[in-house]
Amino acid sequence: MLAAGPTSLLPVGWYATLPFWPLLGALLVGLMIVLRQKPGRAFWPVVLGVGVSTLLGIALFFDLGRSASGAHGPSGFTHTLYNWISLGQPAMQRNQWLSVNFYFDGLTGVMLLFVTFVSLMVVIYSIGYMRDHHGHPERGYERFFAFLGLFVFSMCTLAAAGNFVLLYLGWEAVGLCSYLLIGFYYPRPSAAAAAKKAFIVNRIGDFGFALGVFALYMFMKGHAQPGENPLDYAVVFKYAPRLAESQFAGMSQATFVALLLLCGAVGKSAQFPLYVWLPDAMEGPTPVSALIHAATMVTAGIYMIARCGPIFAASPLALEVIVGLGAIGALLAATMAMAQYDMKRILAYSTISQLAFMFVALGCAAPQAAIFHVFTHAFFKALLFLGAGSVMHAMGGIIDVRRFSGLRHFLPWTYRLMLVGCLALAGFPLLAGFWSKDEIVHAAFSHSPVLGVLMLATAGLTAYYTFRMFFLCFHGQKRLPPEAGEHPYESPPVMIAPLVVLALGAIFAGYLGVGGLGTSLNETFFFIKPHGYFHHYLEASSLRGHVTAGGSSWLMYVSALVALAGIGLAWRRYGTAPEHDPDQAALGPVFNLWNAKYYVDELYGRVFVQPLRGLAHVCFGTDRFGIDGLVWFFSAVPRAVGATLGLAQRGALQGYALLMLIGVAVLLLLWRWTEPALAG
Amino acid sequence: MLLAYLLVGATLFVLGLVGFVTRRNLIIMFLCTELMFQGIVINLVALGRYPLEGHSANLDGQVFALFLLAIAAAEAALGLALVVLLYRYKGTLDADALKLLKED
Amino acid sequence: MPSTPALLLILASAFGAAGLYLALAGRQRSLAWTALVLLAAAGGALIALLAPHLAGGATRGWFIVLSLLGALGGLRMITHPRPVYSALYFILVVVAVTGLLVLMQAEFLAAALLIIYAGAILVTYVFVIMLAQQADPAPYDRHAREPFLGCVAGFILLAVIAFRMFAGASDLPAADPLTGTTLGLGTRLLTNYVIALQVAGVLLLAALVGAIAIARRKAENVAEGESD
Repeated sequence: MLAAGPTSLLPVGWYATLPFWPLLGALLVGLMIVLRQKPGRAFWPVVLGVGVSTLLGIALFFDLGRSASGAHGPSGFTHTLYNWISLGQPAMQRNQWLSVNFYFDGLTGVMLLFVTFVSLMVVIYSIGYMRDHHGHPERGYERFFAFLGLFVFSMCTLAAAGNFVLLYLGWEAVGLCSYLLIGFYYPRPSAAAAAKKAFIVNRIGDFGFALGVFALYMFMKGHAQPGENPLDYAVVFKYAPRLAESQFAGMSQATFVALLLLCGAVGKSAQFPLYVWLPDAMEGPTPVSALIHAATMVTAGIYMIARCGPIFAASPLALEVIVGLGAIGALLAATMAMAQYDMKRILAYSTISQLAFMFVALGCAAPQAAIFHVFTHAFFKALLFLGAGSVMHAMGGIIDVRRFSGLRHFLPWTYRLMLVGCLALAGFPLLAGFWSKDEIVHAAFSHSPVLGVLMLATAGLTAYYTFRMFFLCFHGQKRLPPEAGEHPYESPPVMIAPLVVLALGAIFAGYLGVGGLGTSLNETFFFIKPHGYFHHYLEASSLRGHVTAGGSSWLMYVSALVALAGIGLAWRRYGTAPEHDPDQAALGPVFNLWNAKYYVDELYGRVFVQPLRGLAHVCFGTDRFGIDGLVWFFSAVPRAVGATLGLAQRGALQGYALLMLIGVAVLLLLWRWTEPALAG
Repeated sequence: MLLAYLLVGATLFVLGLVGFVTRRNLIIMFLCTELMFQGIVINLVALGRYPLEGHSANLDGQVFALFLLAIAAAEAALGLALVVLLYRYKGTLDADALKLLKED
Repeated sequence: MPSTPALLLILASAFGAAGLYLALAGRQRSLAWTALVLLAAAGGALIALLAPHLAGGATRGWFIVLSLLGALGGLRMITHPRPVYSALYFILVVVAVTGLLVLMQAEFLAAALLIIYAGAILVTYVFVIMLAQQADPAPYDRHAREPFLGCVAGFILLAVIAFRMFAGASDLPAADPLTGTTLGLGTRLLTNYVIALQVAGVLLLAALVGAIAIARRKAENVAEGESD
């Protein structure tokens, strides 16, 4: 249970309304759609809703910070809205309900802060983005905002949930919103297919997740006292160490649950092997990619593992699996990103790679590093995606870097802001990405040197491919595709302003994890990094008791050098945005392999999709011929009997009388045969 | 004796029935129903006159037959009126011409 | 091997059915003789069947004569192609039934039957036949409708009823005398069955009104479906 910290600034009940403001906004937009209002103003309810949530999120962050600065041990607020499901008859007597309750601790505070903030930026950006060149709203404008509102509600519920069932609800809801938003341009077959793919691959992970929750319930019932809800966070984390002691199916209970929960995280956060949906998800509008598939939804898996820290900490095997998956995923995605030409795809693969970084951090028992990276990554990845959207807007929908170059002359603001974003992603020193990535690399090194070197190499690749994309797009000769029209113009202010804010975040957000309140300038200057505000903050949450990644100087310098080297190499090869890709010339078949994403999609298609489709055909055939045939048979028999008997109805009265006579005669005859023989 | 009368009644009844089912002239069909009535009258009176176990000869059968007579008369009058109407409507007395009961 | 009465009954039914079938309108004249023979055989078999059950004396003779007359009248009535002759043969049947009623000491009923049936109903029938009559026997009078099935079914019916009757033949008590029927009838009607008497009166009134109403309709109105 959370210790009673100092009382909150605002009543805790106010914080509990945080998820519901965007939902209200979405419902209002829905009402506007039903009432056929003009779509041009459809964004206001959602903007206001998300705005209020952002304010509440900032307030919550500071509120929790007050109790964190000094206390050791968990503190925070809980709030129960209402009792939801009763866990059986005896449970009701023991007052054991599954309730809709929220758990506001440091982790929740961080999550809600950046989720609401980045969502607000994306929503404001979308006001301008979802219009055509003349400023008229696109078809489905209102629907977009309604779905965005729904998504923010789902994500906030997920982050603020106080028990596993509510977490699962939020989990599924974000998956649903992802489906709705990826398939936003549903008339396009590729978009519909991508939405389906995302949902189905997510579902595979969610299946494991659900099994994990069930297993947790089953185990917790054995450990928990009566009166305690077995799926409540507080209860679970209290008894988590005991899970490591009991056995189930040849492994410890903790490992069993952890591996199953991991399935969900792998699906939701697009890790190897369930990452295939994320690149396809770029079919959705760019703000969707920015918000859902870069900043917020895909981080849900990281959040969940961090939140269930006590369970994972009790299972070293699960942690090793996480490290393995993360390392493979990071390197794989980085190589694939090096050979793509679609800007959004490059960014998608980089997202997968960065998420894998966070996974590695989690596996090395450094969840603060992972959450820190989630925080900074949200800002610069959203910035990058929205910037790519700006490019796309100006280029008339084209996003293939081979089709244009030299855009810095046409889109100056976008150029500068994208530069900031790319530098942050690459880990340029002093920007946000540098601090968080460095912590992860340090955690990797403390786990094993090989892992550390691998992560460092991947960081270098990250810098390389990021700037390859940047130079190919913005540098070189001025070249425009025909779809761009005569003169591509910069995006309107409503789109640039959020980018500026996000860029500021990309630069300065890292300092929350660097230097505490009142650290001397000296220490900051020489890159000596005591644990900052951020980490104190996170310590006051369920993440306590883990390895905290410190910063040693030499590693910081090395990672800075690696980043700069990557940028330099990209500059040499791609600085002039050459027509023919030098990497393709140099690496040949390897490059093609990377471009084709290692043929994983095709492999999955062969191994999983085709047999299932065959099975589906069999089922369809059985249904159509077997079951429908049976139903037809049941209807055909009475019809046939009726038709046969109908022959007797000829309309002439005498015929009926004759039939009656025959009937009576037959009946009497039958009756006669059952009587005893004639006497005498 | 009862048996004999019952048999005669049954015979008349069956003859009337067969005639009803067989003949196509509407008026003759009605006449056959009257024949059935005759058989019934004989049966009723015989059962009153030669009753079964436990009763003595009584007049109940005759009373019944008397009422039956009244009803037969009423029915004959109405039936013939309808037949005349039908003849005017259809132009023929053929029973097979009246097939409106058939569903097409 | 069925017993004699059963055999006789079966034979009677079979012959009767066959004869009737052949006799029904539409067969050639040569077959008429065969039909006659068959029917005669059926009649003989029936008489032989009934012989043990008949009371003695003059009653027996009268009974046989009258019942044969009735049966023959009925037969000819249903097989004659011309409707007027059917009506006349029906009158013969009524007379035979009247005689049988007198044999059963139901004199009043016999008289009533004769007056009402032969005097009123049959006269009406003959009038209507005249009204709706063609010159020659119409085709619907010449050809019977499903004669085979009708005869077979009818005679099965008769046979089964008769079997049932003869099966319980030994249970019948002897006859006791009956006198004062007319007086008794009148008394009964006005005491035990007075309500039924009134109802019958109402029924006749209703029939009267109905007959007038129907007769007033024109055929065209009926065709158009309008009410009068």
